[in-house]
Amino acid sequence: MAETIKTSTRSQSTRRSFSGIRTQSLLLKGITTLLLAAGAAVIMIPFLYLLSTSVKDRDQLRQSPPPLIPMAGTTVEINGQNEPLYQVTVNGKQTKMALIKNRPGGMGLFVDPENPDQTNELVIADQTPLKHLEIHWENYPQALQKMNFNRLLLNTLLITFIGMAGMLFSCSLVAYGFSRFRAPGLNVLFILLLSTIMLPSQVRLLPTYVFFAKLGWVDTLLPLIVPQFFANAYDVFLLRQFFMTIPLELDDAAKIDGASPLQTLLYVIIPQSRPALVSVAIFHFLFAWNDFYEPLIYLHSPEHWTLAVGLQTFNALYAVNTNYIMAASVILILPPILLYFLAQRIFTQGVVFTGIKG
Amino acid sequence: MKKNLFTILTLIVLASVLLSACGGSAPATATEKKKVVIFVGMGTGTDPDQVDAQNQLAQKFNSTHDDIEIEFLIVPHEEYATRYLAMLSGGNAPQLVGPNGISTVAEFFDTWEDITPYIEAEKYDLSDFYGPAVELNQYPQKNTGLPLGLYPSYIYYNKDLFDAAGLDYPTHDFNDTSWNMDKLRDMAMQLTLDKNGKNATDPDFDPTNIVQIGYDDSWDGMRGTLSTWGAENVGRPTTADYKTAVANSPEWIQGLQWISDGIWKDHFIGSAEVQAGRDSAGVDPFGPGTTGMFYSHTWFLAEGLHDLSFSADIAPFPYNPKGERVARIDADNFTIPKDAKNKQEAWEVMKWLTSPEIIVDVCRIYGCIPARKSVQGKFLEQLKTDYPGIDYDVIFKSIDYLDNPNNEAWIPEWGKIEDTLNNSLSLVYTGTETDATKVLSDANTEVQKILDEYWAKQP
Amino acid sequence: MQSTRPHHRLSLAHREALWAYAFISPWLIGFVIFTIGPMLASLYFSFTDYDIVSSPEWIGLTNYINLFHDELFWHSLGITLKFALIALPLNLIISYLIAVLLNQNIAGRNIWRTVYFLPSVIAGVAVALLWARIFDPKYGVLNPFLERFGIHGPGWFSDPHWALSALVIMSLWSVGGNIILYLAGLQGVPTDLYDAAKVDGATAWQRFRHVTIPMTTPVIFFNLVLGLIATFQYFTEVYVISVGNTVGGGLGGPARSTLFYNIYLYQNAFKYFHMGYASTMAWILFVIVLVFTLLIFRSSNAWVYYEGQLRGR
Repeated sequence: MAETIKTSTRSQSTRRSFSGIRTQSLLLKGITTLLLAAGAAVIMIPFLYLLSTSVKDRDQLRQSPPPLIPMAGTTVEINGQNEPLYQVTVNGKQTKMALIKNRPGGMGLFVDPENPDQTNELVIADQTPLKHLEIHWENYPQALQKMNFNRLLLNTLLITFIGMAGMLFSCSLVAYGFSRFRAPGLNVLFILLLSTIMLPSQVRLLPTYVFFAKLGWVDTLLPLIVPQFFANAYDVFLLRQFFMTIPLELDDAAKIDGASPLQTLLYVIIPQSRPALVSVAIFHFLFAWNDFYEPLIYLHSPEHWTLAVGLQTFNALYAVNTNYIMAASVILILPPILLYFLAQRIFTQGVVFTGIKG
Repeated sequence: MKKNLFTILTLIVLASVLLSACGGSAPATATEKKKVVIFVGMGTGTDPDQVDAQNQLAQKFNSTHDDIEIEFLIVPHEEYATRYLAMLSGGNAPQLVGPNGISTVAEFFDTWEDITPYIEAEKYDLSDFYGPAVELNQYPQKNTGLPLGLYPSYIYYNKDLFDAAGLDYPTHDFNDTSWNMDKLRDMAMQLTLDKNGKNATDPDFDPTNIVQIGYDDSWDGMRGTLSTWGAENVGRPTTADYKTAVANSPEWIQGLQWISDGIWKDHFIGSAEVQAGRDSAGVDPFGPGTTGMFYSHTWFLAEGLHDLSFSADIAPFPYNPKGERVARIDADNFTIPKDAKNKQEAWEVMKWLTSPEIIVDVCRIYGCIPARKSVQGKFLEQLKTDYPGIDYDVIFKSIDYLDNPNNEAWIPEWGKIEDTLNNSLSLVYTGTETDATKVLSDANTEVQKILDEYWAKQP
Repeated sequence: MQSTRPHHRLSLAHREALWAYAFISPWLIGFVIFTIGPMLASLYFSFTDYDIVSSPEWIGLTNYINLFHDELFWHSLGITLKFALIALPLNLIISYLIAVLLNQNIAGRNIWRTVYFLPSVIAGVAVALLWARIFDPKYGVLNPFLERFGIHGPGWFSDPHWALSALVIMSLWSVGGNIILYLAGLQGVPTDLYDAAKVDGATAWQRFRHVTIPMTTPVIFFNLVLGLIATFQYFTEVYVISVGNTVGGGLGGPARSTLFYNIYLYQNAFKYFHMGYASTMAWILFVIVLVFTLLIFRSSNAWVYYEGQLRGR
């Protein structure tokens, strides 16, 4: 009786303010989209420069300020030399001429390419240098080939996916232990877990390297994979936080049904934590994909390198091949983005708690 | 379900171990050949094209030697320090390291083997090497390696910009003493233009809108920049006994003030802002065609003199106010880590790489002048093919004016003092402090403190 | 009957503890094998004079005393703290707000999310080079853009007063990572809570303030703790930007304005061969971060809400 009254009042109040809620929600969506669009524009600008730099050659890189659209100065060959072409005004007529020599006072010697023997001395600043669109798509296959992409891709995928499996497996177990149980000393151990990432890794680098060297694991992929099977502070902490948002009533219900703690983990906690697990998986993928710090130390032979290490070879001593770095970076972005896009499905499923009677 | 999960996981672990073992290095079978690993990355050599060339060189050696096998280990340049130290700590030091500039020889000074015993044991003939080149590798404590290549320095200048300014090109006559720092300043000011085309000598010059710079020496640190001014210790900020700091010598102060005035009073040198984005764009100061004169070394030929949109040539560095010419030099060698195995074989490879037959090829990969007198002719031919149209005499003659003590040479706490001095240089280039006397007195105090701490720890 | 009850209770707690340790055993084992050795080694080094190439020499507390008197230690600590105080709150708040926006039911939601996620995917070295070019005071992208509005932009990475700000802006570009976490957290808020609030007549803002924020405090807490640890150890981005630029001060930036703690530590370890000193720096940082983290943990009882929190914690 009381319940039916409640329902009818509920439906009445929703009906009354129905139009109000609808406009409010439309307004909200509009503002949201606008804000997001503004932010997205800002976010995309550097990315557009990334793309633009990736298709330029050395000469185009020298232009300052760097144009967003990859233009190059038009040149024409005169007497075996490439000279810049200008749009010039001579005797009131507009024509195209090449600048072959600079002269004092801002003057320059211009020649008509058809008639290179006749020179005109004109004010350089009054003429317009001609530019054209020049896109060097070949930077992409060249960058890939120079960094031995296929081999490095294989190495990176191995490390990433096997590590991901190990991480998901171990971190779920450990996070469960830290979030669903009481035990003496557990809090202290949790702080200890966190403290392992508080120490700057630079000072652990050499002793860790010596350890792996003694095992004979240097120049193999093992130092980058095996430790993943023993959990890590970031993902354990994250999963623990998520596990703790799941109501204990679900655990209790499972226990009443006779489930062991392991079964509770597998059949209750994990299904409820899909967004968190997917996040953790994506993060791990990103980390392993882009990490060069540890691979750089352990992987000696270029055939064992990961993609992130391979990228470093373009950053040589005297020649920073920015265009190749950018091109390779663009390619490296694609797999994580694809993964993220596919994982969206998991994110869009809300977690609705039904069937919990108070 | 639990059992399946367990099985799957075990399989994953097994798979990972197997796969990574496959990707791992070949098992160390007892072969006849001794392995010599050459650690490349301290200096140049890591560009993909150079990597290919080095691998070809390795094949050449390996096919002609039965007892030794060489392998070039390419280390990305940014990480050479951590990787080298890790290898040392882990007990798998490389047999050879190079090409090593004087700076990286200094950085890891304590780790190198002294090759004097090796030279003396077989009375190895050093006479074909340039004397100064050999000297650059000799320290009181040790001889760090056979000389490989030299990178003398000189002025790269943009002929088109000189033409546009109506200026004569800098003289190529090494005996012309009128070519000094004052003349350099004069020329540079006339080559510095604002967006209205006015040069820096013009009273209406607009220093906030400079589009072309007259002179640039931004690719070297404090020691390199000031080594040319004729101080008693040349490029070394300490006395010969390494106990007293002399960073505030009158010559260094004069030199730094010249730079400071060049940036902030006369505007013919670019400030830190002008340098800012260049590195990130992979662009050098000379290539864009907006610098009249760029002071740099031979290694710049490989990178800087390709695909230029203007004509360029090289000229000797000017005389300093003391009437001397000091043109700093960079030099490369290969070094042997003390803790490496197979050091005798490393020595053999070192000799091979610097032998008259091979040194020209090696230097071609790295862009240096071979340190052997007998191959100059052969190398000159290469230079003419690779870089046509410049005055090769300038390159070879500049060697005679090298700085010794070198601007990169070892001193105690080399890294820490290097950082201190370069921080002081940045004060000038960013305009934080433009009084050279103040900057260098402060720097000197810091350097002295570092030296004192060092000597206090010595037995 | 009564005599068996206390017997039963002990064994239950005992069993729970055993399960707990069983579940965390992968981490414990890994800790013992891979982590504790190097950590203890570095602690040992902090009491020695160790130049990597020769054996460590015990010098007791000398490193710690010298560190206290080291001007650059305090300087780098100051810079790191300054950066943390600005970048961390900005980062947390902005990424949270964006996540809330991205959680709304708008058209093209997946595309927007991917766009905001994009920057955090790009390799560090490319990001640093990109921003160095963008911030180039004379020939970059940002300053010419500001000129259009009559603003004369500063020297950014080559200006001692602005280098740090440039780094903050750069770090904000890659908030995508935090956004994902907040999204996951926002997804975890039970929708029937929102329904109940709507029924009670709550406005959007009130729903945000009284449902969204409290229910996502576990994720906020996570981002806060890890963000703190990360900003204190800030290294890679600064390193890539400053390492090549000699006249700009090299590592440490113009007039040492970007000499972060970890950068100074790295220099001591791998450039100056003062590994013992560097280890001392590491452990001092460790203590500082630990203290801050414990404080945050302490405070969490007051503001973090876990639906599934065990009693007695």
